[in-house]
Amino acid sequence: MADVSSPAGRLFEATLQDVRQVASDTFALEFEASAGNQLPAPGQFYQVRCGGDREHMLRRPFSVHFAEVSVGGMKLGFLVENVGWGTGWLSSLSGGERVNMLGPLGNGFTLPSAGKSMLVSGGIGVAPLLYAARELDASGRAYDMLAGFKTAARVIDRLGDLTGGVEIYTDDGSSGSVGMVSEGVAGSLGRSYDVVLTCGPEAMMAEVAALCEAVGISCQVSLDTRMACGIGSCRGCVKKGARGSNLCVCTEGPVFDSFEVAWRA
Amino acid sequence: MLAEVDLWTDLAGISLKNPVLLASGTAGYGVELSGLMDLSRLGGIVIKSVTIEPCTGNPEPRIWETTGGMLNSIGLENIGVDALADEVLPLISDFGVPVFASIAGDTVRNFARLAARLESAGGLAGLEVNVSCPNVEKGGIQFGSDAGATAAVVTAVRENCGLPMFVKLSAAVTDIARIAEAAARAGAAGLSLINTIPGMAIDPVSRRPRLGMVTGGLSGPAIKPVALKSVWECYKATSLPIIGGGGICDENDVIEFLLAGAAAVSVGTATFQDPDSAIKILDELPAAILRAGSNSVIRLVGSLRTS
Repeated sequence: MADVSSPAGRLFEATLQDVRQVASDTFALEFEASAGNQLPAPGQFYQVRCGGDREHMLRRPFSVHFAEVSVGGMKLGFLVENVGWGTGWLSSLSGGERVNMLGPLGNGFTLPSAGKSMLVSGGIGVAPLLYAARELDASGRAYDMLAGFKTAARVIDRLGDLTGGVEIYTDDGSSGSVGMVSEGVAGSLGRSYDVVLTCGPEAMMAEVAALCEAVGISCQVSLDTRMACGIGSCRGCVKKGARGSNLCVCTEGPVFDSFEVAWRA
Repeated sequence: MLAEVDLWTDLAGISLKNPVLLASGTAGYGVELSGLMDLSRLGGIVIKSVTIEPCTGNPEPRIWETTGGMLNSIGLENIGVDALADEVLPLISDFGVPVFASIAGDTVRNFARLAARLESAGGLAGLEVNVSCPNVEKGGIQFGSDAGATAAVVTAVRENCGLPMFVKLSAAVTDIARIAEAAARAGAAGLSLINTIPGMAIDPVSRRPRLGMVTGGLSGPAIKPVALKSVWECYKATSLPIIGGGGICDENDVIEFLLAGAAAVSVGTATFQDPDSAIKILDELPAAILRAGSNSVIRLVGSLRTS
């Protein structure tokens, strides 16, 4: 059966309520959208219009790091790392601006109903896992988070308010433990986890996936890719999957079982 | 008066309530957008190019934003004509908007097979014939870069299908008007101009191309001047009805294409920026027609003043 459908996401405007720098070149933006918008699930994303007019036509996809119902409707929080034109535009907003968004889009993480999760992040990939952690906290489910960053200046200052255990790894050892976060995973997988959720650079996720496969623990990965439509029509975000099939990141993902992904050697 | 502006247009006998269509490749099968906008308000939609067999498309990365547009090397990923005809076309006919299917063949015979299969499926207003495809029987040269090959495709389609056929031409040829004339002589009902323009982008640090296929097709506002010239040249050469598009973002762009000779327009890349772009353009179109000194779409078509 041809899998062609309309996504559940809506087109709406959200008002920027707060901008806060949370690490070097990284900002936490808090928006409010009116009632009538559904809360996203951890791992889902929004296609955000970054003010590009005709010069920069494409939206940029962002996963939320928090979302909650509010008096005005719904609050959405994004972590934006200034790495290009669109993220630069967003991170230079000051508050009060209305930003057009399309979402929530995609499929989020499947959080286990019981047992313990391991959340493994690299860099800005911490964003959707922060939301997953808050969701697990809210329902009393156990997890450990391992968050890797390049260096101390890059460590997001949002990790302190989580109930679960958070271990920081930095490439240069300037904060937390020195080394790649995947080394931390290797050392910790012996304790019993029911699932590993990971988001970050592909090389990191590939290593985590391999470690999980070796000990038979289920691993969900969140893929990142350039997107045009975000709704499954243009096929621009498609990546080849492990079994020769296509993975449409915006509709079938961005979260995939690690076995589905054709990791580059 | 805005209420008195007539948006009706005619494409080779196909009556459209307004000239705004969604461009092939940017609107999927229509289904994906149906929850985000009222498709029935549009003049029509051109769905994703279909091939005989399902096609999985090119290796990633398949898209790259450029200044004023984007590059794509999707590679005609599609569900194949059988799935389109049997499973998707029945869904689309509920949308209440004229649907044009785009066919992409690798041989003249396959173009004819696609056309016949889709006509028998029913529910289509017409076909867009995507000749910017490599002709595997002629070393991979695009059909649309050769007048004779284009004529052969048009003839074969016409012999096997009674649906009105709009030939989608590429501007990356020496003389697009000659290709258009060949299509007209072979019996095309109209033209669809233009396809994407070949281009590439490079990562200056990794030294790698941004696209997995190295090169891709450029679309968006950057190509609008090329598209307008193509429409104007083909309109003068053939007087065939034209679906014109390339970088349309607002109602003023629509007017430019109508003046150049298009009877209808296609909105493509803009739909990625705002899924409801075509509707917003449609809402502003009556005012733009009045600003051009007219009160009807039909009277603007080809009325470029050159003296």
